[in-house]
Amino acid sequence: MNQDFIKLLAAWALFHESADEGWKSAVARGQAQQPGSMGDGPEAFVQGLAALVDEEKEKLKTRLAGEGDSVEAAPGPDLSERLDTLAFELRELRGCVESLQASVDGLAARRDE
Amino acid sequence: MAWPRVAMNEARGRRGRQLFIAGLKCALRIAWKTRFGLMPGHRRRCTIAREVRLLCERLGPAFIKLGQLASVRPDVFAPETIFELEQLQDRVGAVSVGAIQTVLKQELGAEVDALLDDFEDEAVAAGSVAQVHRARLARAYRPVTGPELPAGTPVAIKVLRPGIKALIATDLAIARRWAGRLNRWRRLARWRPAALMEEFSAMLERELDLRNEGRTADRFARDFAADPYVIVPRVVWRHSTRRVLVSEFVEGWRLNELGQAERAGINARRLAAHGAEVFMRQILVLGYFHADLHPANLLVTPKGQLCFLDFGIVGRTSPTQREAIAQVLVGLVYGDADRALRYSRELGLVVPAEREQGVRRETEVLVRRHLLEPGRADVRGFALGFLSMLADQRITIPAGYGLLVKALVTVEGVSHAIYPDLDLIKSAKPFATGLIAAQLMQPDRLRRRLPEAGRRALEALLA
Ligand SMILES: Nc1ncnc2c1ncn2[C@@H]1O[C@H](COP(=O)(O)OP(=O)(O)OP(=O)(O)O)[C@@H](O)[C@H]1O
Repeated sequence: MNQDFIKLLAAWALFHESADEGWKSAVARGQAQQPGSMGDGPEAFVQGLAALVDEEKEKLKTRLAGEGDSVEAAPGPDLSERLDTLAFELRELRGCVESLQASVDGLAARRDE
Repeated sequence: MAWPRVAMNEARGRRGRQLFIAGLKCALRIAWKTRFGLMPGHRRRCTIAREVRLLCERLGPAFIKLGQLASVRPDVFAPETIFELEQLQDRVGAVSVGAIQTVLKQELGAEVDALLDDFEDEAVAAGSVAQVHRARLARAYRPVTGPELPAGTPVAIKVLRPGIKALIATDLAIARRWAGRLNRWRRLARWRPAALMEEFSAMLERELDLRNEGRTADRFARDFAADPYVIVPRVVWRHSTRRVLVSEFVEGWRLNELGQAERAGINARRLAAHGAEVFMRQILVLGYFHADLHPANLLVTPKGQLCFLDFGIVGRTSPTQREAIAQVLVGLVYGDADRALRYSRELGLVVPAEREQGVRRETEVLVRRHLLEPGRADVRGFALGFLSMLADQRITIPAGYGLLVKALVTVEGVSHAIYPDLDLIKSAKPFATGLIAAQLMQPDRLRRRLPEAGRRALEALLA
């Protein structure tokens, strides 16, 4: 699919499919009321959408490629994300333990005084 | 064991009388200044709000904090009150360095000089609840996110003021008792004073355990790790406890210190727009946000980055709320009052059918007057007008909704402090647009919609 088609698709999805009546009439009103000032609205919208469609497509491609490969293939995005989260939680816990240790040291010193 | 309890009750009784007298004086002053309530609506509310703010400042830390919590609740208080309470300041002197060092020793079990280098006696900042001093790490430390902090790294030591917990507990106990009494008053019952006090007390108690703040800071640091314009001081847990929070010291200007000279060295315009976006990202994408954003809690570094401080109060948004908020936002930035109101319903705003037309018309006027003027968007003016209009129409404002309106005003305030000429509405457009696009692109939604859209697109191409 080429870029234009994606844009068209996005525009179509926007105006005829995914966008609700309110959005459509807002765009129409905006264009009718203030020519120019709404110019970047729908345009930017469509561009943003197109970029996101592209991004989503890439993600889908990598995922499909990953699924097709055998076990030794590089870990999918899901897996490294989960690993990241777990590693962060582990470091968070370590922070917690360090802080508890500091409190214990404080209390012990007060008891010994 | 009977003696301390008697002493405590006595102290509480004395404090109760003190608070009562201050409250009574304030009520009399309000009665006098508002001509016994005969003054017209807006001016009367402004006068009351100002007196309430001064009263909170006079009553000390617990009430200053309560006022600050109230200032993010337009669902309960009049808009005039919340915008006035926002200006609450705690003008207090610093606690002596000796007292701070004693707290540090009690908490950490050793003299501060044995744990950290170059402890500075003069406080960096002194608030009614905590005080901040500067020092350096004696040994390297590996924080929860990012690279190691080497020995010698400057750190900020935030310490709760000695005795603050007991002081706040006493005041809160008294305030709770009052709230219980007010609850029985018909006119005030709508406010639910007792429930509100319980909620505020819980939040305040949470704030008095600095570890909560540290944890939020770590989460925030992680979620913004990829953003080169955002920094969050990382916590040194080794030296942090309930009453002490040590984090890396970030050099920078507070927003209210930012002048022409400082702005000249950085791209202030971009930073202001980015700041607004970062905040909206917290509310709309991450689902938790810094709910205590004021000029002293945000630094701009000489490298042109934003540094977020003080995560004492955090707000949360649910996925459904986020979706509706995004739609309201889009409605506002594109001047579509109808859309904004429609999605407001999903956030719990109930407009009775017979008043719907009037509300829509007034909202349209407000949007046109405050948000659509090119180069002169005024979110604060809009929020004030909108909330007053709802109050005049006796429409209940749901908590999450009030929070959204308030958050937008905060975003505007912060970005204007960085770059006064920023047109927030204009710079919010691409972000709002991207958001809706992202919502449309959610995989399950896409799966439902895309084949149909594709088919129609093809039909159109072939036609
Ligand atoms: N990590 C840090 N780096 C640099 N300055 C800091 C840091 N932490 C705190 N400060 C300074 O101390 C001031 C007060 O810090 P903070 O807001 O955390 O305390 P606070 O007592 O909760 O204040 P308030 O309740 O009034 O917001 C900040 O405005 C800032 O100037």
